[in-house]
Amino acid sequence: MIVCVAVVGHENNPLYLQSFTEADDALKLHHIVHSSLDVIDERVNNPKKSGSTLNETFLGLLYPTENYKVYGYLTNTKVKLIMVMTDLDVKDADVRSFFRRFHAAYVDAVSNPFHVPGKTTTSKSFGQRVGSMVKSFGPGATA
Amino acid sequence: MEPDVSMETGSMIRIAVLPVGGAIPHRQLREYAAMLGRQTRIDLSSISSFYKEHQKSPFAHQPWETGCLRFKYMLGGAPPSPWEDFQSCRKILAVVGLCHCPSSPDLDLVADQFAAACKGYSSALAKRCFAFCPTDSQLEDDGKKRENIILFPPSDRQTQEFHMLTMVQDLAATLLMEFEKWVLRAESTGTILKTPLDSQSSLGSEEVIKAKKRRLGRAQKTIGDYCLLAGSPVDANAHYSTAIELARLTGDVFWHAGALEGSVCALLLDRMDQKDPVLEEEVKYRYYTVIQLYRRSYLQDNAQRVSTVSFELEAALKLARYLCRRELAKEVVELLMGAADGAKSLIDASDRLILYVEIARLFGTLGYQRKAAFFSRQVAQLYLQQDNACAAISAMQVLTMTSNAYHVQSRRANSKPHTSPHELGPSHGDGGKLHPQSVVSLFESQWSTLQMVVLREILMSSVRAGDPLAAWSAAARLLRSFYPLITPAGQSGLASSLAKSAERLPPGTRCADPALPFIRLHSFSLHPSQTDIIKRNPLKKEWWTGSAPSGPFIYTPFSKGGTTNTNKQEMTWIVGEPVQVLVELANPCSFDLIVESIYLSVHSGNFDAFPVSVSLPPNTAKVILLSGIPTKVGPVSIPGCIVHCFGVITEHLFKDVDNLLLGAAQGLVLSDPFRCCGSGKLKNVSIPNISVVPPLPLLVSHAVGGDGATVLYEGEIRDIWISLTNAGTVPVEQAHIALSGKNQDSVVSIAHDTLLSALPLKPGGEVTLPVTLKAWQLSMVDSEIDSSKSSGSTRRISKEGSSPVLVVHYAGPWTHSDQSNNTENSVPPGRRLVVPLNVCVLQGLRFVKARLLSMEIPARITDALPKQLYGDKNPAEVVSRDDSMVKIDPYRGSWELRLLELELSNPTDVVFEVNVSVQLDNRKNEHGMPILNHENADFGYPKTRIDRDYSARVLIPLEHFKLPILDGSFFAKDSRASDAFCSKVSNMAERSAKAELNASINNLISKIKVRWHSGRNSSGELNIKDATQPALQASVMDILLPDPLTFGFRLAKNGATAQINGFPEESIISGDPPSQCVNGSAVKCKGSISAHEMTHMEVLVRNNTKEMIQMSLCVACRDVAGENCTEGNNATVLWAGVLNDIRLEVPPLEEVEHAFSLYFLVPGEYTLQAASVINDATDVLRARARTDSPDEPIFCRGSPFHVHVVGTA
Repeated sequence: MIVCVAVVGHENNPLYLQSFTEADDALKLHHIVHSSLDVIDERVNNPKKSGSTLNETFLGLLYPTENYKVYGYLTNTKVKLIMVMTDLDVKDADVRSFFRRFHAAYVDAVSNPFHVPGKTTTSKSFGQRVGSMVKSFGPGATA
Repeated sequence: MEPDVSMETGSMIRIAVLPVGGAIPHRQLREYAAMLGRQTRIDLSSISSFYKEHQKSPFAHQPWETGCLRFKYMLGGAPPSPWEDFQSCRKILAVVGLCHCPSSPDLDLVADQFAAACKGYSSALAKRCFAFCPTDSQLEDDGKKRENIILFPPSDRQTQEFHMLTMVQDLAATLLMEFEKWVLRAESTGTILKTPLDSQSSLGSEEVIKAKKRRLGRAQKTIGDYCLLAGSPVDANAHYSTAIELARLTGDVFWHAGALEGSVCALLLDRMDQKDPVLEEEVKYRYYTVIQLYRRSYLQDNAQRVSTVSFELEAALKLARYLCRRELAKEVVELLMGAADGAKSLIDASDRLILYVEIARLFGTLGYQRKAAFFSRQVAQLYLQQDNACAAISAMQVLTMTSNAYHVQSRRANSKPHTSPHELGPSHGDGGKLHPQSVVSLFESQWSTLQMVVLREILMSSVRAGDPLAAWSAAARLLRSFYPLITPAGQSGLASSLAKSAERLPPGTRCADPALPFIRLHSFSLHPSQTDIIKRNPLKKEWWTGSAPSGPFIYTPFSKGGTTNTNKQEMTWIVGEPVQVLVELANPCSFDLIVESIYLSVHSGNFDAFPVSVSLPPNTAKVILLSGIPTKVGPVSIPGCIVHCFGVITEHLFKDVDNLLLGAAQGLVLSDPFRCCGSGKLKNVSIPNISVVPPLPLLVSHAVGGDGATVLYEGEIRDIWISLTNAGTVPVEQAHIALSGKNQDSVVSIAHDTLLSALPLKPGGEVTLPVTLKAWQLSMVDSEIDSSKSSGSTRRISKEGSSPVLVVHYAGPWTHSDQSNNTENSVPPGRRLVVPLNVCVLQGLRFVKARLLSMEIPARITDALPKQLYGDKNPAEVVSRDDSMVKIDPYRGSWELRLLELELSNPTDVVFEVNVSVQLDNRKNEHGMPILNHENADFGYPKTRIDRDYSARVLIPLEHFKLPILDGSFFAKDSRASDAFCSKVSNMAERSAKAELNASINNLISKIKVRWHSGRNSSGELNIKDATQPALQASVMDILLPDPLTFGFRLAKNGATAQINGFPEESIISGDPPSQCVNGSAVKCKGSISAHEMTHMEVLVRNNTKEMIQMSLCVACRDVAGENCTEGNNATVLWAGVLNDIRLEVPPLEEVEHAFSLYFLVPGEYTLQAASVINDATDVLRARARTDSPDEPIFCRGSPFHVHVVGTA
């Protein structure tokens, strides 16, 4: 189950952060997302990529923490998509496809001519779309 | 768990360091401890001299050449660990006392105390007490040779350090020998080693057997530990190998892990210098095994009492520290995250604390600042749970470290590069550019949720820790950065915590972090005396030229000069002259903000700033004026303001707010504090390069009699006295006055000479100049309706800014006497003073209209022609008469009067008196005679008084403007135009003719002066030009030009035409009323005409042109009814001679007479009139007659002459 998704700008500024838990752990999720930037920074600055993975946007599992797993995705504009989930065994392919859809949704959201680049995304339809994606992720993964 | 563990920990000898005796001053204690602390690595080679081999050393492979002992000093000692037997390095193996002799005179007492202190450390194998700075008596006393107390004789630092080194080496040798002893004993007799894991109470038989089996392995492990401590890794390795074998056989998992750990430490010590991947792989492999073993040793049944988790975590941390490199980050992160997850199973809170501290440190080393910050925050939370001041201080310090990662750090941390003024200057020069660093901080500042939490925790912990400054700083940062996210109640709470913190701070405390308000530079309020500093051009006499801003607008004193002038990059301030800077303050919070004082912060040290205090209501912005005085020559930089608010002094940099506003504009920052206070957007004001120059003279002007506007009516002439005072400290040596602004021509004269004669104007000197002003005419454009008056009487007054302006350029001496080092700036600048002549022009008399009136008064016929004025012997008499303006035209013989009627109304509320005068120049005619010989041809008129709201008419006779001769010159253009057939040329000619006509009208009008007086001292002149021009346009020719022919009648005596000289007095009789003749004496009536009598008359025709005129003359006589009396059946007048069609030729400028006689049958009034038709008229005549067709006859009619015929019918 996905508990949190976030979009972080290329200057590590949060653009969108939404948690999907009932519990009052927004601060904790903020911290998780925030500290996952370390890992992303590290992967971006020390790319061990070669050949086939050169154009890979999916960063894979960033780190496991407590009950969560943090996955990352880096767009070519250095916008980071981050997902925090509780599922312990999840196929990378599922996560990857989730991120693709998430990325597409984000691209649609910032294509809005009224969106100011660098500002936090406030689009409601983006939120709804992400929400439905997150909801559909759980059963899709199990099935 | 222990902090700061690493793989090498196993080889470190722990030495407790305890202060003994009287209280040691902090500085000394620190110094002694540092001196001791430097000796952590004692080479084996250096201790050989202290080492005595009593028995054969068990450390067979001790590397005496390369090896070393490692000391770890535990300042203040440490409680004994229950795991001492398991890891010998946990034991305190030696105790070192530190004693400051001056504070503990009795060394015996010290020795006792030390011995008592050592009792707590049963494991200590060596004890030393180092006593520093012993007194002489103590040194002498030392003869007793106390055990363990070593006196350090007072000496210089180097010697003392050497002494210390020697003592430590001695200690090391002692320890080494003790280790040997211990090992030998252990090998021979064996030891019983226990850990808390081994159940102590109930030793069942099975367990006793088990323990016996395991004892050997454990002993081997412990011997290995001592080998490690003794700096002999090879020996250690051998013992560990045995121990590992034994532990594996006996299933002693925990000791197996410990031995394995020890073996890794031995391996690393053995290969200290190499770090090859093979070794790394080996270490990694062994350590993962260690971690596995520790995990396996976890026993569920005694988990409540004791847990091996801490060993597992410690091993993980050790491995992580060993691997802690960027390339292996992923592995390290996994280890650390695993360790972090393990925290939950730790029982002891302090263990957890240590774990988090270590994790945070390792993440920090790895470069994972955010993760390090996260764990630091966990540490802080654990500290805060402890609820004591020390823990709170620790929490605060840990949180302060995290603040960097969250970009909420105090400015004090990175204030170092900002303190130098050199740094500040250029960084301000590049105006609105953001520094890349600050951009990042703006971006990251969006993690506001986290940042606020961190700041709140810092605030809370520092309050608890009793650090008011840190609390103030945290509250200030919180309030300043996140006010939009804080509820009004929260904002007030922060404000009160700021105030509370400030109460506990000494007054005048400075803090690096500004709180409120937000301050931005608004503008430099420029006093004109600052703007008008003008570079002197020493080459030119008019030194101010060329340096003043060129262009059409030299200076507009009423423009909003302040903001526009700041675009200039250069600004000059003058020593000793106050300057002002406008700054805008914003309080976006919901409480009243009281700024106790605010003043400009100047780092260059040559500026005295004056503090002001401001109170800002909630959600308001205010522009305030900050002033100061430059004190020394040199550049000035103003990076910001010093604010005393909430009890603490802070510096607010303009640059920060500029960055903030820029960030707000880009949507990076939460909100713009100025915008949310309703203040408008301000363009980025760049701070100009300000330089301070030596004192200059300073002229201050004021109008004598008050600086208020002088109220003048249109056309009023008045002197204004301007007083100029030198308020500077340097004399004015050069000065020049020029005019500028609108309505410059209203300044009639300026007393330049007065100013020049007053130079040099000493400091404090004053000069007063008269300036004569003539109020200008109000036009619709530059006047405004004074609508404050009732709508019925709208009054027009002049608009502001239409007054002329005096521009005074002045300067001091060329060189400063007191400035010897004026190499580059040899010429001090000059200045400009702009003195607006404050004139308020009120509407005065107003023209309603101007009309030209003409009337004719027939002349009375006499035996003489009406006396020509120039022939009059007594012209003064003529002039003196009241009606002196009314003259008989000498050539016309009658009074044909043309009057200019000016209708004036007085819309003002004062009374005007109008006085008309005509100024005539003494023109000469060709004959060299003045036509009108009025010496000063000013005609006085009785004054016309015009009451308020009334109108009146003033008549101006226009009789004296006739030219004597009608010639072609006037029509020169006309005649030429008729010659030319080219329409274009004629068009041009027409235009120029028109211009000439206008010029002559203007000339005419300019001779007429309408002066007015009002009240006691208002007087002026009415501008009638525009009003009268249209009135005169049509008939100017009639006014100016004489008729080509003038006709006159006179009585002839017996046909003789002699001029009568006998009646000089009566030469002008037409002025007398007719009744006078009737009632008067016979003599008086000599010139009168009787009925029934032949009257001889002559008609005189004068040619006023320069050409011969041929004509046919007719003379008509009419009675009062206008009937022709000489014709018809009822003719009442008989005549002799020719009256009609008299052919005459008149030579130019000559007169021709024609005599005839009349016989009046009936007495009464008659009118004689001559008329003629000119034959072959010239162009001039035609033009004069305004006819175009060459065929039209030119008819010339004389003015009527009055004939009074007396007698009885």
